[in-house]
Amino acid sequence: MFRFILRRIAIAIPTMLILIIISFVLIKSAPGGPFTSERPLPEQVLANIEAKYGLDKPYHQQLIDYIVGIVTRGDFGPSFRYKDRTVNDVIAQGFPVTLTYGFWSFIVAVSVGVSLGIIAAIFHNSWIDYFAVGISIGAQVLPNFVMAPILVIIFTLWLNWLPGGGWHGGQWQYIIMPVIALSTSYMASIARIMRSSMLEVLNSNFIRTAKAKGLSWRRIIFKHALKPALLPVITYLGPAFVGMITGSVVIDMYFSTGGIGREFVNSALNRDYSVIMGITILFGFLTISFNLLVDILYAWIDPKIRY
Amino acid sequence: MKSVMKILTAALVGTTFLVAPTFAAKVPEGVKLAEDQTFTYRALDEHSSIDPQIVEDVSGSDIIRDLFEGLLNQDANGNLIPGVAESWEASNGNLTYTFKLRKNAKWSNGDPVTAHDFVYAWRRLADPETASPYSWYIELMSLENAKEVLAGEKDPSELGVSAPDDYTLVVNLTAPLPYFAAMTTHASTFPTPQKIIEKYGKEWTKPENIVSNGAYVLTEHVPNERLVRERNPLYWNDAETVIEKVTVLVINDDNTALTRYFAGELDRTEIPSGEYPRLKEEYPDQALSFPRLCSYYYTFNLSDSGPEAFKDKRVRQALSYALDRNIITEQVLKGGQFPAYTFTPAATANFTPPDVEYAKMTQAERDAKAKELMEAAGYNADNPLKFELLYNTSEGHKKIATVAAQMWKQKLGVEATLANQEWKVFLETRSKQDFELARSGWCGDYNEASTFLDLMTTPSGYNDGKFSNAEIDKLMQDARTAADPNANYTKVEEIMAEEMPIIPVYHYTAVFMLDPGLVDSWPVNNVEQNWYSRDLYRVEK
Repeated sequence: MFRFILRRIAIAIPTMLILIIISFVLIKSAPGGPFTSERPLPEQVLANIEAKYGLDKPYHQQLIDYIVGIVTRGDFGPSFRYKDRTVNDVIAQGFPVTLTYGFWSFIVAVSVGVSLGIIAAIFHNSWIDYFAVGISIGAQVLPNFVMAPILVIIFTLWLNWLPGGGWHGGQWQYIIMPVIALSTSYMASIARIMRSSMLEVLNSNFIRTAKAKGLSWRRIIFKHALKPALLPVITYLGPAFVGMITGSVVIDMYFSTGGIGREFVNSALNRDYSVIMGITILFGFLTISFNLLVDILYAWIDPKIRY
Repeated sequence: MKSVMKILTAALVGTTFLVAPTFAAKVPEGVKLAEDQTFTYRALDEHSSIDPQIVEDVSGSDIIRDLFEGLLNQDANGNLIPGVAESWEASNGNLTYTFKLRKNAKWSNGDPVTAHDFVYAWRRLADPETASPYSWYIELMSLENAKEVLAGEKDPSELGVSAPDDYTLVVNLTAPLPYFAAMTTHASTFPTPQKIIEKYGKEWTKPENIVSNGAYVLTEHVPNERLVRERNPLYWNDAETVIEKVTVLVINDDNTALTRYFAGELDRTEIPSGEYPRLKEEYPDQALSFPRLCSYYYTFNLSDSGPEAFKDKRVRQALSYALDRNIITEQVLKGGQFPAYTFTPAATANFTPPDVEYAKMTQAERDAKAKELMEAAGYNADNPLKFELLYNTSEGHKKIATVAAQMWKQKLGVEATLANQEWKVFLETRSKQDFELARSGWCGDYNEASTFLDLMTTPSGYNDGKFSNAEIDKLMQDARTAADPNANYTKVEEIMAEEMPIIPVYHYTAVFMLDPGLVDSWPVNNVEQNWYSRDLYRVEK
């Protein structure tokens, strides 16, 4: 196991490097630059700006400088768009916000999704099952860009219970709507995966044996069925968690949360090279880490899996 | 922008010593002020910076006008009024300007605001080290040695600005600009605190570090979410400030912003496209629409890479005539926009749009004429004109382009295909003349016709269609030193109506919802929309 983890980490380093190089090449090959605007800058002014940011150097030199900066100083460079801020500032400000609502969305999605799935499987083909499946399909087909404005209309405009947006350091009333909007479709997927895998497990031989032994339903479900039934859900949770904590441009746009999702999209549109690179590296790092974590969890849950 | 700027020249030319009345929020007699004197407005995107010498966007400049104060300000009608400078004088045939500063202006840390602060800020703007995207502005102001400092050939200390004493600022110019004083209302010329900048570097604009000299101080900034500024008790004219606290919320989506306006979270927000008529009917006292200094138009590529057909002015005229602007403004945009037959908006100061002939015709007459011209140019049903109309990706531009293409198809049998590109790709394509007909928009940098018409001159860096007309070049050149340049501008517009290098479509309006309590004090007549929170007040409603 330990060797497996070491090996995965060893692979992660060249993976990150390739990620950085590909992103860099892609960004640089996109037409326009960070200082392209409706009013083109006079040559001298542009030259001064490019010199300040080192953009006048050859591409390979810029890439080397960039990687050296990260490795030696943890410095992801300045933002070209937000001139008072560095990439580190941008991430330090946006990522905790996204992490907060992403984390709560994950908790909600998993707890509600798993419960719904279990209930639906236990009461298979009853009205409870149909109801649970109905909810999860409904949640699945309602994309968050439809969900978000509907929530605002209901809770802000009609009921006047919650503020229509903002973050305010993550006070609870500002988190509720982003969490509902972000978690619903994940919740629905989890419920459906959970339901079908639970059904499969409940029909398997060892559960029949457990029933024959006269074990209580509760014991059968929680002691014997839950763990194996969770495996497919866990496969899904790794990427889902990364998806949630890396944010959503829709959530950031509708609720003005100031998270990193919107920042990522904006940086691409603004050709804010260093911000795109910084966030790409962050997301790459998170994806690799959580995939590793899922693999470890797998081995822990399913004794058959050995690395 | 290399051009000469002529802002409010009438007020300034030939004067020796100007002392204008000072005023901030002058609340009329009998008006009952509301208990709550806060103002919360919406910004589409996070501003780029609140450093006066670095800022380049409108939303950043709006904040800077509250936090800092330059030599001069604008009033509700866009006229010049004193700021830190109490009076100013042009001498030496407009080559030297002397500003006398008020002695009671203070920084928010209590230090006096002196002429040295301006000298520092202006040198900083020009210094290649600062790498300001607006450093060209100092060259535009024609300061001595500006060009050389920008190029790194001379030290910033050689820039033509000096402080013979703490309260006198002397500026030496290389060109006799009659309107130089008006240029000092621009945010990039505002003073900045040398000691603080040297102490904190790039971090100096953070709320805990910043020191400013405006009517408000920065108290909170959460990037991409909110920025709060509160009344500055040390501001020299604080007694006349009414609004206590100003908050800007970043809300990317127009519709969300409108919802939050109705939820009472905002006092001001833009009205989403097409919603104005409905809102005006339901909320007549809150839905505002007033002219802005902006034009929407289509540019013909007249360079060698452009289509041969467009080199025939009859084709250009026909396309322009056949475009029914009223349908676009009344049926598509519905925000009180004005159909455009000239490039320069009628709202521009001292500019009366000429009665160009095609503007006087009815649309039916224009259509008939367009058909005639198209036939004469050799295009008909058997040999239809084909070209591509390029716009930057946006629902709004798409709607207008679709309607335009449909009109040309129906009336002239023209086959215009639509193409869209993401913003930065589009800019690159357009600036390389890699298009046939392209959408364009231009907002005046200052309130004078040359801010538009200079685009039509041969050397202009913004002349993407590469239109070139010797007569226009000469008229615009002469306008720089003419006592009354407006005759030249009128003539230029007349030539453009004949040559049709662009198809003017409409002139923009500012369309927003404003809390009824603030409507009275909002400067609707300032077409540049340079507003100052200290001039606002909220009336009890």
